[in-house]
Amino acid sequence: MSSKQAIDLKKTAIDWLGITPFLLFAVMFLIAPTLYLVTGAFVNPAGEFTFDNVAGLFTDKILASYWISIKISLASSIGGAFIGFFLAWAVVLGGLPSWIRSSLLTFSGVASNFAGVPLAFAFLATLGRTGLVTMLLRDWFGINLYASGFNLLSFIGLTLTYMYFQIPLMVLIITPALDGLKKEWREAAEILGATNTQYWTKVAMPILFPSILGTTLLLFANAFGAIATAYSLTGSTFNIVPIQLYAQIRGDVLHNPNLGYALALGMIVITGISNLIYIWLRMRAERWQK
Amino acid sequence: MKTQKIGAWIAVLFGASYFIVPLIATFEFSLRMRRGEYSFDAYRSVFSDIQFRESFSYSIMMAILTIVFGVLLVVPTAYWVRLRLPQMRPVVEFITLMPLVIPAIVIVFGYLRLYNSSSYIPFTGSTRGTDVLLMFSFMTLSLPYMYRSVDTAMRTIDVGTLTEAAQSLGASWPTIMFKCIFPNVMSGVLSGAFITFAIVIGEFTMPSLLNRPAFGPYLQLIGANRAYEPPALAIIAFAITWGCMVLLQLVSRFSKSAPSKP
Amino acid sequence: MRRLLSLSTAMVMASTAIAAAEPSAELIAAAKAEGTLTTIALPHDWCGYGAVIEGFKAKYGLTVNELNPDAGSGDEIEAIKANKDNKGDQAPDVIDVGLSFGPSAKADGLIQAYKVSTWDSIPDTAKDADGFWYGDYYGVMSFEVNKDLVKESPKDWADLLKPEFANMVALAGDPRTANQAISGVFAAGLSSAGGDVAKSGEAGLAFFKDLNAKGNFVPVIGKSAPLAQGTTPIILRWDYNALADRDTLAGNPPVDVVIPASGVVAGVYVQAISAYAPHPNAAKLWMEYLYSDEGQLGWLKGYCHPIRFNDLAKNNKIPKELLDKLPPAAAYEKAVFPTLAEQEAYKETITKGWDTVVGANVQ
Repeated sequence: MSSKQAIDLKKTAIDWLGITPFLLFAVMFLIAPTLYLVTGAFVNPAGEFTFDNVAGLFTDKILASYWISIKISLASSIGGAFIGFFLAWAVVLGGLPSWIRSSLLTFSGVASNFAGVPLAFAFLATLGRTGLVTMLLRDWFGINLYASGFNLLSFIGLTLTYMYFQIPLMVLIITPALDGLKKEWREAAEILGATNTQYWTKVAMPILFPSILGTTLLLFANAFGAIATAYSLTGSTFNIVPIQLYAQIRGDVLHNPNLGYALALGMIVITGISNLIYIWLRMRAERWQK
Repeated sequence: MKTQKIGAWIAVLFGASYFIVPLIATFEFSLRMRRGEYSFDAYRSVFSDIQFRESFSYSIMMAILTIVFGVLLVVPTAYWVRLRLPQMRPVVEFITLMPLVIPAIVIVFGYLRLYNSSSYIPFTGSTRGTDVLLMFSFMTLSLPYMYRSVDTAMRTIDVGTLTEAAQSLGASWPTIMFKCIFPNVMSGVLSGAFITFAIVIGEFTMPSLLNRPAFGPYLQLIGANRAYEPPALAIIAFAITWGCMVLLQLVSRFSKSAPSKP
Repeated sequence: MRRLLSLSTAMVMASTAIAAAEPSAELIAAAKAEGTLTTIALPHDWCGYGAVIEGFKAKYGLTVNELNPDAGSGDEIEAIKANKDNKGDQAPDVIDVGLSFGPSAKADGLIQAYKVSTWDSIPDTAKDADGFWYGDYYGVMSFEVNKDLVKESPKDWADLLKPEFANMVALAGDPRTANQAISGVFAAGLSSAGGDVAKSGEAGLAFFKDLNAKGNFVPVIGKSAPLAQGTTPIILRWDYNALADRDTLAGNPPVDVVIPASGVVAGVYVQAISAYAPHPNAAKLWMEYLYSDEGQLGWLKGYCHPIRFNDLAKNNKIPKELLDKLPPAAAYEKAVFPTLAEQEAYKETITKGWDTVVGANVQ
């Protein structure tokens, strides 16, 4: 072996060594426990290998629940990304006092996990039929919220509730990216005569786009896997996949855990596909960087 | 510039009202424990419960440990992948997304099967061992957020050039890591730390099935049977978590050196 | 229709003598050697379990390690399965599950047989002949009503359809997964089908479809907090839960617990010892305690009817004050105890048909 090849080999070995702690951690605490799920999806309760569970995924009811899960995850992640981005922009680049920025960031930290029963209850206590805002609107402004067609226990209501933890997540994760927009680039653009719009569309957005995309994907997966909020709010009427999954694994009645594992496998596949879409979009966006 | 500032204010005001109003509604309901008048009875009931203090302090301790070890795992990994193994990036990102969609209950059942008292690595054989396993499970849960925050922050700095510059000045790997990279991704680390903290405080499934006295199971227990204490608890948890994050922010501000602006 | 237990013949005198059929000294010694009992899914406010556990701890000096009080029957079974090789604190020793889980757990080899000393006084229809599982308590489906928001409490299932109860009626769980919610649907069906058990599953679904169409049904899961807050002022749940809730809320808001005039359904739960229990002797001692007079009366204090109720009543073991706190015995006369086969049938109907028939789906 020539000395260059030896050096290259050594370099590759070190490269892979550097990532070993992470891979070890991932295998021990994420992949190995999950393998049980993967094998469970292909076994029936008696222990024999079968494709029944996977085939069972293609019934109308389950396909409908995948579809509605995807819909709500898309709605809340895109809405959350959009609004979160504007909020982050407002505090980082909007020329506001710095105490607002730190308050927003700390608040976002707390709110990002304020999901589940407390959140559902908070929204019921606010916008439910006997909620604070509903009553205030009725008593002070004479506006009957529910008569106008609004219902918290609906797709829109659930999306609104989901955004409570999606927006803070977006704010927290995109703020470092906005921090990284160097002042010099803005100044250079202005010197070259760019308008505000041109700066944003031609300089800032292309730089930020991969981060925004990546975070939106995170939001999507976050909403996709969320169960507690939906269950507490619309329990028996909103048929998202995690609720079906829990019904199979934990429920008092249906109790076919293998079907539950197949459902989870389906969720992993969908997340994998969205990850691939994200990577493809990011590669296209990063072309200019090469 | 003026319109920009007005726009920023409007955004913040809308955001503030969307976030604060539900909290106000929760708070208002929690004050209704005594019939006919507002009182802090629900809060008194919560604070006098020993289990509240024990479980909350346990969770805070776990949160700090999770953040420390999580950062130690994620930052070098994100850095290394960016620097030396860019082809592994999609794989690593996919792995970090998995904890979001794999139900926690499946993961923890996997732990019980793999690491129970009769296996090769008996984490659940002892209380300390279970604590360690719980910490690892928290790290797994917070992995997506921690990784994404740190990666986003790292994207904005040119790790290649920074590393070369430091190496040409004779810096060793630890020096590069802790004196050059960490301070520059601090805002990403902080975001990740915040989210991790909130996750650990609120997590229910993991500590419940591993039978450790964390705050999540306590919250669930109170919520099952009481009407006024759960909202009070939610507000208290919110306030204390906020307090801890302010502390986190102060700590980071003192220890971070001013990032060099070229 | 099966009528198992009639309560009207109980003539009770105040009695303080609560003699328990004592477990053997060897069992007590063996249990104490083990030192701990691990339970699962026992909320303190459910059937007064808090006091029962304290009583057990005080009597025998064992510690009790309580797992996940929020677990459902399916969770308990999964916990046994997941902890087969684990002798640590995460493995449950004893379980308290819905009636239909007893036979399936036995078939899966997850539980072990044990016959308590008071075995003979447990009704045959509520226990496994080989001693693998045995009924512990029952309650009937009732209406828990928030009197602040509801002027006139509904008296029967048909009343729930009236317009004054718009946006008020909720189940205590998800009718596709939770035993309590499914029993609620079944009870409604039993009422509208005039007592025909076989038709009650379908009738229940039709009832809820009607309830939903009229706008009376609220899809939020009914609990103490939404009851008090106003989102779910009428909850369909087991009477013991409703009564315990009434006590906890202490008048803020005032709660009325109504046993419906028709469609009275009793739900039986069963106890079993895990086949992989790390502390089998402690588990057996626990069973002895639960089925002693002391344990059974402990459940009665939590408003649950213990399975040995008739036996206790016959022997005048029930204090009058305790009986007075329960709803009138007459209401329980008509309680229907569905058999295992009947339960399988209506559970199947209700869980499969809920989404399509009731159509309360959010799109």
